[in-house]
Amino acid sequence: MKQLLWFLLLLGTLLAGDRAGGYVLQQQVAQSQFRYARLYGGEAAADILLVGNSRGLIFYEPYIEEKSGLKTFNLSYNGLPMDAARALAEDYLDRYPAPRLMLIELTTCDRTNDALLSGFLTFSGQSARLDALIREKSIENWRAGQLSALYRYNNELFQRALFHRNKTDKDWLLDRAIDPALAAKVLENNYPLEVHPYLLEQLRALVAYAQGKGVAVKLVISPYYPQFTVTHLDDLKAEATRLTGLPVYDYRDALSDPASFGDFMHLNKTGAMVYLDQLIGDGVLPF
Amino acid sequence: MIFNSLVFLVFVLCFFSVYFFLKGRLRLGWILVASYVFYGWWDWRFLALIIFTTLMDYLFGIYLEDTHVPRQKKQVIIASVVMNLGFLSIFKYFNFFAASAAALLQYVGMEASWTSLHIILPVGISFYTFQSMSYTIEIYRGEMKAERDLLKYATFVGFWPQLMAGPIVRAKDLLPQFHVERPFEWDRFYSGMGRVLWGFFKKCAIADSLGPFADQCFQAPETFGSLHLLIGVVFYSFQIYCDFSGYSDIAIGMARIMGYRFPENFRSPYFSSSFSEFWTRWHISLSSWLRDYLYIPLGGNRHGVFMTYRNNMITMLLGGLWHGANWAFVFWGFLHGLYLILQRFVAPHWAWVVRVLRLPRFVDKGVAIAVVYSLTLLAWVYFRAGSMGAHSFTVANAVLSGIFSGRHFAWWAVLNKFQVLKGFLLIGMLYGVELSNAWVNWNVVQVHRPALRLALFAVLLWLIAFFGTFGANAFIYFQF
Repeated sequence: MKQLLWFLLLLGTLLAGDRAGGYVLQQQVAQSQFRYARLYGGEAAADILLVGNSRGLIFYEPYIEEKSGLKTFNLSYNGLPMDAARALAEDYLDRYPAPRLMLIELTTCDRTNDALLSGFLTFSGQSARLDALIREKSIENWRAGQLSALYRYNNELFQRALFHRNKTDKDWLLDRAIDPALAAKVLENNYPLEVHPYLLEQLRALVAYAQGKGVAVKLVISPYYPQFTVTHLDDLKAEATRLTGLPVYDYRDALSDPASFGDFMHLNKTGAMVYLDQLIGDGVLPF
Repeated sequence: MIFNSLVFLVFVLCFFSVYFFLKGRLRLGWILVASYVFYGWWDWRFLALIIFTTLMDYLFGIYLEDTHVPRQKKQVIIASVVMNLGFLSIFKYFNFFAASAAALLQYVGMEASWTSLHIILPVGISFYTFQSMSYTIEIYRGEMKAERDLLKYATFVGFWPQLMAGPIVRAKDLLPQFHVERPFEWDRFYSGMGRVLWGFFKKCAIADSLGPFADQCFQAPETFGSLHLLIGVVFYSFQIYCDFSGYSDIAIGMARIMGYRFPENFRSPYFSSSFSEFWTRWHISLSSWLRDYLYIPLGGNRHGVFMTYRNNMITMLLGGLWHGANWAFVFWGFLHGLYLILQRFVAPHWAWVVRVLRLPRFVDKGVAIAVVYSLTLLAWVYFRAGSMGAHSFTVANAVLSGIFSGRHFAWWAVLNKFQVLKGFLLIGMLYGVELSNAWVNWNVVQVHRPALRLALFAVLLWLIAFFGTFGANAFIYFQF
């Protein structure tokens, strides 16, 4: 009997502590300046909505805002797949006045990332779309999140939210040049891009949803390191145009200075500013 | 089957729901069946290997005891060792030696025509082979009696908590425990549960959180700055420690719940102030095995300085090779052998410096711990690279040259800072608990203080939920 009582007490303590801990952590997220905390905290209204994976992080917000005088909000995240990007962007469009432009880095349609999706458990309480997506794609994690409130904060997104609790993440961008030893191996490296019908369908749906709200949508391919091979990029471009009816602004070879890159796939801060000048100059970004 | 998987949770529930209702041979039979299911879950075909090894060593053991002719005894023990090491060589080292021989022939201008075989390495073979070998060796030495009950012997070899990755339990420590009835006891249950939870925290929360950061560093070292790489290597040192000691904790805890006692396998190794001390704190069951069955038979330190160094080096080289079929593991063993030798030169000089400068004890000890840890870290680079196939030395050298280049040795150049902060927070927790062991006997607290036990269990479960990684990542030592 004594042992049974002890076990019941343990269960009660576990449950109460878990829920109390979850509540405290949610308060921390609510106060964070991390992008998704701002999105669901009502502090993300902008004129330009930027969407992408890690390559979307090169839409360097402070520089665009300085050059255009317009407010920006960047939904991009490392490895963000288009299905999550769609849920986030549609949540944005439902919560805020329609932006003038939504700029999408097309390679977000490259591949799925169910491991990252479970990280959105931190925000799934505020988004029916994210909740449904995690439930569909990662049912075990979704169930674990139902069982334990603490588990919803056991992910990279929460850690980043905590990291950005008292400082903005608007300047999140690689700020170093590619290592010359790595750069010398450019011809030995390549990136096999995947043309993913499911993700392209997500893109089509997002574009249609945004256009239905009166938002202009533009698709871009940002620069890759000179001579770096990315396979199937033209197939992706053609499929995106076929499905959305939109042209793709292709800047894959726009920059040739190695000092503009952090690695083969990503511009650094210097390169990002040169690239953004080109986007503004070509009228892709409003000025 | 791995401990950090859902299927293991189901296995444990099924196992214990029957286990305590059984007695005597029925209970032993249940353990054996469960052990074979546990092992066969990975690949049932290799059950034949473990059963064959068990049967042969069982027969060798009886024959060793029954025969009184020294020459015959010697022949039997040689047969046992050859059989055990033979299987280990075929499954673990065949391709390695074949490739090394081919490379050597190519070096001297000859062409080797053989190709490598696609041999699957049976999980845990290094562990159960050493365990089984210790049995026949001890009977040969007259240190224990042969086990006449095949069920008991088979249970000893296949005992599921330690089958895959140790601790390597000696026959004389475990077999006698099968002769005594082990009724359920709440004290043992609580003590074992606490140990299991702590093991899961170390594996799921610490090791698997640090792993991805360390992995990145070894996969593309040229991508990262020097501080980033250094942090990656530090993280790896704690990843492997928590991964392996976490497994040992779970094994020890599970056995304790069942009523059996395993020896400790780790005692805060990174607090070692000498390399000889390190090897009494790290993978104790293997290092003591190598000491008793290799180093001492080679002569130990009984035949002068040179022979002591030679024996140290042979033991560490073979210890390195035990870990994996790659020269990088051998080099890791070589470094530790070298450290043990250098220590004998340096220690008296350092003691002189301490005496002359009248350094306080905490400075003396602190410097020693820092030096031992740093050099251990250096060796871990080769160990980690050892699992990266033919490029292991290239990778290890790239990581080390990246660190020593000093390029981007700055906080701003460290990527994924949130992971770094989380990693150091977890390492801090580990250190906190290990330091507290000097004042608090957590086992006694768990057993005798129900309120504190409740708090401890709850905190551990919260921490696992909050920090744990549940991708069923295999334990690193499974590959050995």
